[in-house]
Amino acid sequence: MTEDTVARSWSDPALLWKALPAVLLQTACFLAPLGMTVALTFQTTKSFQLTWTWNLATWTDVFSRAHYWTTLLHTLTMAGLCVALCIGLALPVAYALATRLQAFKNQVTVLITFAFLTDTTLKTFGWAMFLDRTGVANYLLKEIGIDTGGASILFSDWATMLGMVYNLLPFAIFTIYISIEAIDRALILAAYDAGASKFRAFWEVTLPLCRPGIWAGAVLIFLLAVGVFLEPKVLGGGKSPMSAELIRQTFETRVNWPLGAALTLVLMVVSVFVVLLFSRVYRLQRGRGLL
Amino acid sequence: MNPRAQSAIAGIALYGTTAAVLIFFYVPIFTLIAFSFQEGRYLTLPLDGLSLKWYGALLDNAGARQALGNSTVIAAIATLFATAIGTVSAIAAVRYRFRGRAGFMGLAAAPLAFPQLLLGIMLLLWFSVLGRWLDFNMGLTTAIIGHVVCITPFVMVIVAVQVFTFDPTLEDAARDSGASNWQVYRYVTLPLLWPGIFSAAIFAFLLSWGNFYLTYSLAGSARTLPTFVFAGIAVGSSPLYPAIATVIFIPGLVLVILADRLRRRAAAA
Repeated sequence: MTEDTVARSWSDPALLWKALPAVLLQTACFLAPLGMTVALTFQTTKSFQLTWTWNLATWTDVFSRAHYWTTLLHTLTMAGLCVALCIGLALPVAYALATRLQAFKNQVTVLITFAFLTDTTLKTFGWAMFLDRTGVANYLLKEIGIDTGGASILFSDWATMLGMVYNLLPFAIFTIYISIEAIDRALILAAYDAGASKFRAFWEVTLPLCRPGIWAGAVLIFLLAVGVFLEPKVLGGGKSPMSAELIRQTFETRVNWPLGAALTLVLMVVSVFVVLLFSRVYRLQRGRGLL
Repeated sequence: MNPRAQSAIAGIALYGTTAAVLIFFYVPIFTLIAFSFQEGRYLTLPLDGLSLKWYGALLDNAGARQALGNSTVIAAIATLFATAIGTVSAIAAVRYRFRGRAGFMGLAAAPLAFPQLLLGIMLLLWFSVLGRWLDFNMGLTTAIIGHVVCITPFVMVIVAVQVFTFDPTLEDAARDSGASNWQVYRYVTLPLLWPGIFSAAIFAFLLSWGNFYLTYSLAGSARTLPTFVFAGIAVGSSPLYPAIATVIFIPGLVLVILADRLRRRAAAA
């Protein structure tokens, strides 16, 4: 690829008109709002009106309330578990898609893509109908002779987790699939020639080579999972709120913009920190040849 | 264990998981489709009877029709902008070497890994402050801007994959034969990238069409299908919502199949 790239300078119109729209868009509508969110945390609200004062009141509040931090910890735990489940499920599916399902590959890809692109609100709502006490799951269980007595996992952390895995799993399938597809088949065949069994070839050749895909999927899912709001609301019943819900309430119900902005930043900074921490541990382990 | 037994076990595990995951993906979708034909008022099994009356109710519901219109307008305009910006930035990111390339790619792709609810809230704050200065309110325009911000990176990634497999010597050949820059784009670059761009556009349309978080924060009092459904869940549901869902599924499935066809044709070329 590198030999095909052309060196361009920013004064070259060919580069400028291609790169500038995205730079302008993301500067005006991503970086600037992010910067303003930081600035907002140093302001205060008086009777639901924002006043520009520049003080640390919001931050002392954030760091003195345990509630914000236990909610954050709960969110991070849920996101971590969601990542583990998604990777565990996505690996065999992506592997099957890349190496086994020759005849049905396109159909399976279409089915997964369609499920992924369909309105998240509707799918989450569909799960609520399925899991409800009088919903499909209990009805079907009763039909096959298991009477749950109206018990249901709806409105629990389990239902929230189910919804999160459901909505985020395709990200892992796509990233891992792409990295398995990119593996040179000759390497795997070489492993077979050298006498490796299928499992050993998978473990020692395929898995290490698709690590970038696993890693990309894990980071993407983690960062998206810390921000989920629909699943805890619709499937979790709002019983154990996660950070996104807390932030939304702070903005909408309490109309406290500085606090909401501060909680948004804390969530993002802590999540990115967790990602960096794991990538560091992961590099160290790889350096020692453990993974 | 002999190789054939190993292969059989691996096959069962792989096909089994894939089948289970596919069923998992379609549980809520089929639940919605089934309940859309419910005759009674409640979303419980067994169904009281089969009927199409909720589809009729859908046609009579002004709120649902308005939401459908808003969703379509927002998705169409957002797709246009996101596809244009995403395509040219993909070409810049893959084909050119320039100073700050890593920074450019990071900035252009950043919203991809940013939780949409938080992006929506940040933009809401931003537009509220700007709106106070420049005197505008939240509405369809702010929702469209939000959609463009979060969907452009998806387009960029999809088109970048296509640009990656593109043979630049074809452009050189055209240029050597005396074609102008514009002619090279018009007759060589765009036709070759077109399948990738088109399937990215379909992706963009469906992502925007089904987007909840950004619309929820940025559309003001305007409702789109996802926010209409969300508001409906909150006040107690009827089979009207499964009927909406089923109606939405049909164009979605058609577009996804179309995108897949184009992607495969592009791969074959």
